[in-house]
Amino acid sequence: MAERVPIREGTFIESAKGGILLANRCKSCGQTFFPKSSICFNCFSEDMEEMELSRIGKLYSFATAYMPSVHFQPPYTVGMVEMPEGMRVFGPLKIQEGERERLRVGMEMEVIIEKLWEEGETEVIGYKFKPVIS
Amino acid sequence: MREVAVIGIGQSVFGKLPQRNVVELGRESVWTALKDANMSPKDVQFAYVSRLYDAMVTGQTILKEVGIREMEIVNVENACAGGSTALLGVWRNIALGVYDIGIAIGVESMTTSPIASKLIPPAKEDLEGQLGMTMPALFALMARRHMEEYGTTVEQFARVSVKNHHHGCLNPFSQYQKEFTVEDILSSRMICDPITLLQCCPNTDGAAAVIMCPMDIARRYTSKPIKVAACVLKSGNYAYLQDDITFCPTDYKAAMEAYEMAGLGPDDLDVVELHDAFAPEEIFRYEELGLCNRGEGAQLLNSGATELGGRIPVNPSGGLLSMGHPLSASGVRVVVEIARQLRGEAEARQVANAKTGLAHMMGGAVAGLDVGAVGIQILTA
Repeated sequence: MAERVPIREGTFIESAKGGILLANRCKSCGQTFFPKSSICFNCFSEDMEEMELSRIGKLYSFATAYMPSVHFQPPYTVGMVEMPEGMRVFGPLKIQEGERERLRVGMEMEVIIEKLWEEGETEVIGYKFKPVIS
Repeated sequence: MREVAVIGIGQSVFGKLPQRNVVELGRESVWTALKDANMSPKDVQFAYVSRLYDAMVTGQTILKEVGIREMEIVNVENACAGGSTALLGVWRNIALGVYDIGIAIGVESMTTSPIASKLIPPAKEDLEGQLGMTMPALFALMARRHMEEYGTTVEQFARVSVKNHHHGCLNPFSQYQKEFTVEDILSSRMICDPITLLQCCPNTDGAAAVIMCPMDIARRYTSKPIKVAACVLKSGNYAYLQDDITFCPTDYKAAMEAYEMAGLGPDDLDVVELHDAFAPEEIFRYEELGLCNRGEGAQLLNSGATELGGRIPVNPSGGLLSMGHPLSASGVRVVVEIARQLRGEAEARQVANAKTGLAHMMGGAVAGLDVGAVGIQILTA
């Protein structure tokens, strides 16, 4: 079986409920960061605590690319999702056939964890967002 | 601080010129600037030179071709604001009295670079770059959000491109020399929805050079010295502090600092050259530079104010969309263009009676920052 490695250590976990993004919060001033920051950029405190973000956020903006990027072949869709904890997170969107035209700013998106690309025998896994099917 | 003047300007032709290397392009811009300033190469005391791709002692390799050697040459990189960074180095050294005569050079050969005919790649290990962020994607996300927030339409984005391509037809230095309709722009190949090919600046080769000296000796070299009333360079702030991705706080703050330094406001400007790498972007920059209120960029465009003949023409050169964008050259090129306008030498694209102009360049996409760097200069006749 292929070895699975995260795109960046400590940015997400796979739970029974599904994908969860890991952020952190400054215990001194309360500022939150994703990805986690080693210090608080607001008050420079080193006293940081890890926090799990909600699994569902709202689509803030999206774009479908028709040119390749470092790891993705076109067409692929990316977006920014506003999490209830107050941060905007950029990531690829997982879109089913016919769903692309139905994307709307403000719709609910959930975090999923899956393979992003392969490097030889290794699968690089990371987070994506997919529309919440209601 | 001493008052500083632009006394010599030079520019190579812009275009896809793989047969002409960085040294030839740079040499053409420097030689033209020296001639323009009626100056011998031996008068130049120091240089700041900007180049992004495959750079090593670029300044030395260019300047040795015009007989300039054995002096202080600083090579710099700051993404698309590299040229602005070179200008700052020259301006400040003269303002502080360290040197009297210096040259700022920006040069890029995109067609012979390792990224020829590709998108500008994100920095290695940039998390968002790994996850599919590209320059067109970044601006497409902003464009979509501006549409959502303010009701801006794709036709309005396309009109920026129509305007700048029209201006570019009046500029012999421009890479494109072609008029396009809104329909042409919108029916061109989709690059990153809603941005089509003709809303993207092309990859371009070119160079630009600016010679500066203290204002009190400027008339030895030119009858039309142009005063540098403000010169600002600012690095980006954290993106988490940005309440809306369509408005770059660093760009706004850099503009406000420049206005304060010059003792002027946006209403005093006669002409602006700004970073329009993608058509929607020009509308965002109107708002950040204070040419209109926040959210009213598309209305300013619709009013015709930013066309040649309008209240505040923006990118009369054709901008990056029509001129093309040799990354490190563009920050110097916008100052060359504003100086031409203020001297009254812009020919078919001349803004009538232009006395005050603003040159703007920004660049560098970094996950977590609102921008890499912003450079702004305000020039007065």
